[in-house]
Amino acid sequence: MSVFSSLILVLVFAALAYAGGLAGSSRWFMGVILPYTAILVFLGGLSYRVLRWAKSPVPFHIPTTCGQQKSLPWLKWSWLENPQSKGGVLLRMALEVLLFRSLFRNSRAQFLDGPRLRYGEEKFLWLSALAFHWSLLIILIRHLRFFVSPVPRFVMGLEAVDGFFQVSAPQLLVTDVVILAALLFLLQRRLRNPQVRYISLFTDYFALFLLLGIAFSGVLMRYFFRVDLERVKEVALGLVTFSPTVPAGVGPLFFVHLTLVSLLLIYFPFSKLVHMGGIFLSPTRNLANDSRVKRHVNPWDYPVKVHTYAEWEEEFHDKIKAAGLPLERE
Amino acid sequence: MSEALPKHEELVQIRYDVPRNGWRSAHVDFRKGTYSYSAAPKNVQYLGMANPRHWRPTDKDWKLPPDWKQIILRGMKERLEKFRSFRLFMDICVRCGACADKCHFYLGSADPKNMPVLRAELVRSVYRRYFTASGRLFRGLAGGRELTEDVLKEWFYYFYQCTECRRCSVFCPFGIDTAEVTMIVRELLNLVGVNTNWVLEPAANCFRTGNHLGVQPHGFKDSIDFAVDELEELTGIRVEAPINKKGAEILFVVPSADYFATPHYYTLLGYLALFHEIGLDYTFSAYASEGGNFGLFNSHELMKRLNNKIYAEAKRLGVKWILGGECGHMWRVLHQYMDTMNGPADFLEEPVSPVTGTRFENARSTKMVHICELTADLIHNGKLKLDPSHNDHWRVTFHDSCNPARGMGLLEEPRYILRNVVNHFFEMPENTIREQTFCCGSGAGLGTDENIEMRLRGGLPRANAVKYVRDKHGVNLLTCICAIDKATLPTLLEYWTPGVEVGGVHELVANALVMKGEKDRTTDLRGEPFPAKEAAVHA
Amino acid sequence: MPGISPQTQQAISERWRAAIIQTYPGLTAEFLRQEKDPFRNPVGAALREGIPCLVAELFGAMDPGKVSQALEGIVRIRAIQDFSPKQAVGFVFELRDILRDVLRAPEAPLGELHKRIDEMALVAFDVFMRCREQVYEVRLSEARRAEGFRKRMVSRDAGG
Ligand code: HEM
Ligand code: SF4
Ligand code: SF4
Repeated sequence: MSVFSSLILVLVFAALAYAGGLAGSSRWFMGVILPYTAILVFLGGLSYRVLRWAKSPVPFHIPTTCGQQKSLPWLKWSWLENPQSKGGVLLRMALEVLLFRSLFRNSRAQFLDGPRLRYGEEKFLWLSALAFHWSLLIILIRHLRFFVSPVPRFVMGLEAVDGFFQVSAPQLLVTDVVILAALLFLLQRRLRNPQVRYISLFTDYFALFLLLGIAFSGVLMRYFFRVDLERVKEVALGLVTFSPTVPAGVGPLFFVHLTLVSLLLIYFPFSKLVHMGGIFLSPTRNLANDSRVKRHVNPWDYPVKVHTYAEWEEEFHDKIKAAGLPLERE
Repeated sequence: MSEALPKHEELVQIRYDVPRNGWRSAHVDFRKGTYSYSAAPKNVQYLGMANPRHWRPTDKDWKLPPDWKQIILRGMKERLEKFRSFRLFMDICVRCGACADKCHFYLGSADPKNMPVLRAELVRSVYRRYFTASGRLFRGLAGGRELTEDVLKEWFYYFYQCTECRRCSVFCPFGIDTAEVTMIVRELLNLVGVNTNWVLEPAANCFRTGNHLGVQPHGFKDSIDFAVDELEELTGIRVEAPINKKGAEILFVVPSADYFATPHYYTLLGYLALFHEIGLDYTFSAYASEGGNFGLFNSHELMKRLNNKIYAEAKRLGVKWILGGECGHMWRVLHQYMDTMNGPADFLEEPVSPVTGTRFENARSTKMVHICELTADLIHNGKLKLDPSHNDHWRVTFHDSCNPARGMGLLEEPRYILRNVVNHFFEMPENTIREQTFCCGSGAGLGTDENIEMRLRGGLPRANAVKYVRDKHGVNLLTCICAIDKATLPTLLEYWTPGVEVGGVHELVANALVMKGEKDRTTDLRGEPFPAKEAAVHA
Repeated sequence: MPGISPQTQQAISERWRAAIIQTYPGLTAEFLRQEKDPFRNPVGAALREGIPCLVAELFGAMDPGKVSQALEGIVRIRAIQDFSPKQAVGFVFELRDILRDVLRAPEAPLGELHKRIDEMALVAFDVFMRCREQVYEVRLSEARRAEGFRKRMVSRDAGG
């Protein structure tokens, strides 16, 4: 159910944008108002979420340790999986963020039985997650060429590397293929892996379809229904220089793309997509395992009712005495 | 018989249906053997907690306060503001499912709500409904769920089916720790008086007498004296075991089961023998006679209340530093919470081994050292005379307890010790030990008798790995450094893999320890004849 | 019981395993079926080990020791999961339909096999009862251990 409804919702958005683009009447809305709103909501919403996380303190020191602690100097210490210093934590975090280290951790045991080996789907999850996120990042950077004039060197360079397989007239970019493949893999996994399907919500499918819609419309524009790139650049530059224009003849497909991106930006802060910000704040990963070395302070610590020694001695006075144990007050 | 058969592929065509209605309907059948009894009012009262009353999980009416829903929601709000972990873990799960098959309860019970992600979703759905804009607006479509009594019951059922073992957290790309979620939800349940006796009774006992079992000072002294007597019978050496001795160098804290239950008791004998041999100047305390902390399984506040007496007693007795025995959840508290909750321990000194002079820099602030750290250092410096052949009747494996493994990283110390005190040591498969260790299935206050079936389910993955080393290497002893393990694993193994016993690391240390002036020892601490001596007798 | 090829036996095993797996909630069933690592999937592993054994015995010697050992691995787990006694051991009878399907034989020649299936079911029930009893036994011994040392103390004191 939620699969179809989320798909339909994305399609409806796309169709509306296409129709609007064709008619030309709502181009101002889709080309200027919606993108600005989207950026505002995105920036405002994301900062709000991040600030709210940051506002909740970390009262206790709770890193998850995934390797040998640093204790006796001659014991081999797992400085990456169980960091005791800032540097180690930074590296651990970097591996999490850049390589999804924990997702990779699903080591298979060697004791597989039966003739047919099934390679762990989790490795595919890791691979496709990585492929998706990295392509997304590279694609985002590549988009800078629309927003900055002249186009920075590194953007051109990146594009050259990306277009390494020069097989078609508009140079085929590897990331375009990879992001679509990865998203489709993630989608089919959500549908086919029974556990993941069971836990999936409407919102999970919606995010995937939205991203697929964006990637797909982008690919269509680039390889199949060319849009006028000069005009697109005009729109983009207009947006960043706060002198928005929407020249005629940009092509309706572009509005589909732009609208879906705007929707993604708007949706972002209200959804699980904020995991981007969250990963940096996760107290099980971003703390060093040094809770016995340095005292961690709980900002909202408050006194609690305890059973003091004096109360204890008073209650058990005679028994303590009979047992021959020393007393504070005879 | 006809062999004109359909093709193999055709034969094994099978359809699997995923339940259509999903997981959001909240209804649980409380079946005998799968839940723990509710807390007796006297314990709730003694600890001054909310809503003491008689009730049973199987009752239709749980006698909640009339405004229970507001209480829970208010409690959630408060905790969202106080714990970044809670707020973050409610927000950032992408439901990738990497954690789904990592929980021993899921693997053993086959109940989908035991997948860590779904366990957390049980609250996350309520969080979304009441605390996020999209959930307030779009309700179910945004994954929100109304908070009803059925949901509350479901929380009780499933958050007492989580042993706070943190295995899921290892595999989650964001480090989402369902144990943390469980701790918070149990706090919430406590606000309306929904709790289990197996957690609150030990806690109440501990608050009053100093230990979970409610052993009073004279009983404590008796136990220790009895152990001293037994050790003398076994070794011919009368050791000293001071209690409440002011001015000792070290305060020694153990889980109370060590001086009360079997097989923990052999570990206690082990400590006593070891301390005598190295001439440690230490003392037990009858007031801080418990290192374990069932508060951890109830609320942060109760944890702090129970933990308080350790530093207080160290201060009163004027010791220099504190040594802790073999216990898992005790060490989670000591390592990650104690200093924050009841520190700073500025009245103590940085721990230094009196025998080797090693400074325990990793305990510089908390001033509390794990006994395995102490012993590993002793062995490394050649301070102990060991004869591992005394343990030749044991073929040994080591079970990493969840808390020392994933809340501390104490992995190699016990292994180093074991390799020095036994000749036959075998590891279980790699993805069932160290940071990937499988829980005993009875931690976090689930280890009660009435909950036996659930425990047997949760213990299956662990037992399954034990079975592997039993069948492959003839392992007959599983060692561990946790009091809950020692109490509950024998039960699990008796059911799942008979023939494997459970023991402590320091039990084996003392078996191997050649003590100065000992009589000709013929048996180990359990009274079993030493293998070499036995062979000699037969010869 | 001659003439049943290994392939057929394997087919029977796989069908039977699938039928048992389907007694678990849908998504778990898929996991039990797919995950081959015995340490990540103890329930599935037990089935994968026990079922072919039972099928071999069904067409073979019906060695009581082997049958009960193979059943033990499966029933011991089901005995403590959310199953009624009937569900816990009823899976043995699934064999009837499977045999009829796979062997495509008229009812009569299956007579002997059906007798064997009944026998297996009885053994399964035996194992089930034994496991349930054991659940109570292990509870008792746990209680004993919890008190063990204290009892020894008391008896020492009583004995003077
Ligand atoms: C620091 C940046 C980020 C990190 C470290 C990160 C990490 C991850 C990880 C580890 C997963 C789980 C694996 C998976 O299910 O694919 C994931 C899932 C996901 N991420 Fe990110 N992410 C980041 C930024 C983003 C951004 C900017 C988006 C864009 C919208 C995004 C969209 C998604 C989506 C849609 C999924 C779910 C995939 C599915 O449904 O299977 N992520 N992310
Ligand atoms: S591994 Fe983490 S992000 Fe993925 S489903 Fe589990 S809790 Fe959520
Ligand atoms: S903490 Fe352990 S018991 Fe709890 S959900 Fe995670 S894996 Fe399961």
